[in-house]
Amino acid sequence: MIKISNLEKIYRTEDVETVALNSVSFDVKEGEFVAIMGPSGCGKSTLLNILGLLDDPDGGSFVFAGQEVAHYNERKRASLRKQHIGFVFQSFNLIDELTVYENVELPLLYLKVGADERKKRVEEVLEKMQIMHRKNHFPQQLSGGQQQRVAVARAVVNRPKLILADEPTGNLDSSNGNEVMQMLTELNDAGTTVIMVTHSEHDARYSHRIVRMLDGQVVLENVMI
Amino acid sequence: MLRNYFKIAFRNLLRNKGFSIINISGLAIGMAGAMLILMWIQHEFSYDQFHENKDRIYEMWNRTVFDGKLQSWGTTPKVLGKTLKQEYPDIQEVSRVEIRSPFLLIVGDNKVRVKGGFVDPGFLSMFSFPVLKGDAKTALNNVYSIVITEKLAKSLFNDDNPIGKTIKIENKDNFIVTGLVKNPPSNSHFQFEYLLPWAYLTKIGWDDDYWGNNSTDTYIELKKGVNAATFNAKVRDFTIRHSKGEEQNELFIHPLSKLRLYSKFDGKLEGGRIDLVKIFGILAAFILVIACINFMNLSTARSEKRAKEVGIRKVIGAERTALVRQFLGESILLALIAGVLAIAIVQLFLPVFNSVTEKQLSVQYGNPYFWLFFFSFILFTGMLAGSYPAFYLSAFQPVRVLKGTLKAVHTSFNPRKVLVITQFTIAIILIISTLFIRRQIQYSQERETGYSKDNLIYHFLTEDLEKNYPVIKEELLSSGTAISVCKTSAPITQGFSNSWGFEWKGKDPKQKIIFNRFCVDDDLTKTIGLKIIQGRDINLKEFPTDSTACILSESAARIMGFKDPVGQIVKDNGIDWHVVGVIKDFVLQSPFENTEPMVIEGAKGWFNVIHIKLNPANSTAQNIKAAEQIFKKHNFQFPFEYQFIDQEYAQKFNDAQRTSKLITIFAMLTIIISCMGLFGLATYMAENRTKEIGVRKVLGASVINITALLSKDFLKLIVIAILIASPIAYWAMSKWLQTFSYHINMQWWIFIASGIVSLFIAFSTVSYQAIKAAMANPVKSLRTE
Repeated sequence: MIKISNLEKIYRTEDVETVALNSVSFDVKEGEFVAIMGPSGCGKSTLLNILGLLDDPDGGSFVFAGQEVAHYNERKRASLRKQHIGFVFQSFNLIDELTVYENVELPLLYLKVGADERKKRVEEVLEKMQIMHRKNHFPQQLSGGQQQRVAVARAVVNRPKLILADEPTGNLDSSNGNEVMQMLTELNDAGTTVIMVTHSEHDARYSHRIVRMLDGQVVLENVMI
Repeated sequence: MLRNYFKIAFRNLLRNKGFSIINISGLAIGMAGAMLILMWIQHEFSYDQFHENKDRIYEMWNRTVFDGKLQSWGTTPKVLGKTLKQEYPDIQEVSRVEIRSPFLLIVGDNKVRVKGGFVDPGFLSMFSFPVLKGDAKTALNNVYSIVITEKLAKSLFNDDNPIGKTIKIENKDNFIVTGLVKNPPSNSHFQFEYLLPWAYLTKIGWDDDYWGNNSTDTYIELKKGVNAATFNAKVRDFTIRHSKGEEQNELFIHPLSKLRLYSKFDGKLEGGRIDLVKIFGILAAFILVIACINFMNLSTARSEKRAKEVGIRKVIGAERTALVRQFLGESILLALIAGVLAIAIVQLFLPVFNSVTEKQLSVQYGNPYFWLFFFSFILFTGMLAGSYPAFYLSAFQPVRVLKGTLKAVHTSFNPRKVLVITQFTIAIILIISTLFIRRQIQYSQERETGYSKDNLIYHFLTEDLEKNYPVIKEELLSSGTAISVCKTSAPITQGFSNSWGFEWKGKDPKQKIIFNRFCVDDDLTKTIGLKIIQGRDINLKEFPTDSTACILSESAARIMGFKDPVGQIVKDNGIDWHVVGVIKDFVLQSPFENTEPMVIEGAKGWFNVIHIKLNPANSTAQNIKAAEQIFKKHNFQFPFEYQFIDQEYAQKFNDAQRTSKLITIFAMLTIIISCMGLFGLATYMAENRTKEIGVRKVLGASVINITALLSKDFLKLIVIAILIASPIAYWAMSKWLQTFSYHINMQWWIFIASGIVSLFIAFSTVSYQAIKAAMANPVKSLRTE
């Protein structure tokens, strides 16, 4: 599903040039659950942003679902994002001014899904995430675990092929964290590819494979048994 | 999706109430100001646009070179209209119009003196003043017919049908009402309450065939399909031909639809009231831009609060165009709320605005064009205010905003700073302009008029006054009501007559200089208080030959080139006037212009007015009462309708004062709106720098230090605005002052004062937030970090 080869990303300021990704190559198959690990600043979030088409690489190739997307313009990237990718962040990133229901509905609005279908799908996913009873609440009225469940609901409502999770349990206590990991596993079991950046060895154990990074390079790949 | 946008917009408005109030009320005040001005402009443009045949109606104008300058004017010889009609089949209709001094109209005991005048019978077919009763084509065919407006009909006949009823005019002739017309709308330059046939003017001997007497307005309506330019070329030498070269004025046609706004001619019609309309148009644009700048500044200043939302929307697939649409939509929604509020403000302030502008403007809720304009205005304002924030916000990189690495970049060039500078530049230009305009008016008001206005009244010589003048004068003086009385051709505040036809020994025959013509019987200097600088006053008692004496103004004597003016002869209207004295120049017409040369002719002249210098030993009320009794005794059919000269002189400033008041109001409005924006920005800045302030306080900074630190950044912008505004205002004001012959010089103190005032206003606005932030407990702000 994903094939990246020799991916490069360099951040430049007036005085400093920082190599965030240095010739990174690896593949992710459809239905896989991959965890990316490494110390802070090793480039894992940069890699996730490129995989999520939020950022573009400075060099190398990135093939997503059979298409070379490394140099897609913003419009094409946005189109791919809304159709095929769901995001889960450490800080949940819900829109404070929208209710739970409205937050989850948002991706479907951008996909121009009809009102009836939208309602059906939002309710379905809210039920599945067991958050239906809070659908008219605003994010500030929810606990961290509930907020992350809403975030996961929003990530999956458009039935993406790929879910990218950036430290999804980082702001949660262990029980809420486990719940979220459970959800991701269930989604993966249902066929969705999941790539997760994490510091937590515990969370990484939910994945099929761990990609370890250091100083912008992939240094090791462990297959979980 | 639209619903989603609406929801988020409303929830954002509610969440940030303070900012929403500043944003919406600033925009609403700006929109209301701009709307009022646009209503005024629309009214100016609507003058005489309601005439069905307006595109074919023209006023005949003259142009010629006087004293090396091209001059043009709209009064024409009385003979012009009928001669044009006889000669050119291109003309459908002609009407001369003389709406001048009002007549006294009498129906039984009911006496009114209202504005009206003489027109040719074609007037009502040519112009679209709806005829409610009577026949527009024939109503003015009879010498003794009269057409009246609804308003006059009401005051003379109540609700009775006026047609066929009789009105006596000036206690002389009876007229039959043959037509009833709707009151002329306020946006017509024809303001009358009755119309009399031109034939009556001829009958009472006021008509003449003299091509040199430019005293009446002549309108023509061209037939359909006639090319105006071709016609214009045909009539160019019409006056020259008919006067057999005696008059050298070229004739040209001036479109009715442009009469109100264009009165200056320099090869083509180009100036006049349109200049004022343009100034107000610019003012409206300024006010709206300033209000929009507030919106832009506050929206972008709050951008960090919206950044997360932008990031999330982008992550889940929103394209930039969708975000631009969303934010533009939000600002249009805000503009709509502000627009509704603006209409309420307009409605609330319309009476005040109407009294300042002396117009009767109203919001035309029933007119679909009003709503079309209103929504276009909202759309325009929303787009103008929202464009920059929309593109600014939608450009955020999701990766950066979601990681929280998006921080305001401190660079020397910051669009928000540029906008604040723009805003204050405009406000400061307006402050400087307001001060200059007020100073110029004050300067002209304090100008030495050259005569004494105190206790001086005048009265038109109505009916029996002319005949009984000697006895009235005698009684006014012997009763101690007046200390001096004289008869003149016009009030001392108005010039009724001028001419370039004066002749004297040594005159260059090619020279064409206009002299004001004024007539007086006697006692001019004693009554009016003019100053004789050479020779003597006209004195009929001592010098009976003074009936053909004349007095020159000092500039007239100078222009005529007389070294010793007394004893010289000046020819006018076939009379040899001998100069007996020279008076100091005085202000006859505009106090903003240089005095014009003048010839004051003696008792052989013509008279319209009686001037009375009231006795200062009595109270004004006593004098007026006594004068009224004397007038009633000798002119009992007519009311005592006097005017105070000082009041009439003060009216010369009405227009300028009106303009000044309007500019002052709108200058204050721009300052208020700018300050609202500045206050919002200061609030944002104080919020944003809480941590820095805390750290500084911990390190020992005093409240004054912190206040100065926070205010400094804003005051720097104001100083830049002062530096930009000053030369622009200098240029604009020197250009404006040049339009007056009598004007103040550039005064530096105005620029300095405006700068200080702007800095003070800005500091007062910012310091509240700065002091509040400086006084906050640092422990609190640091702990929240």
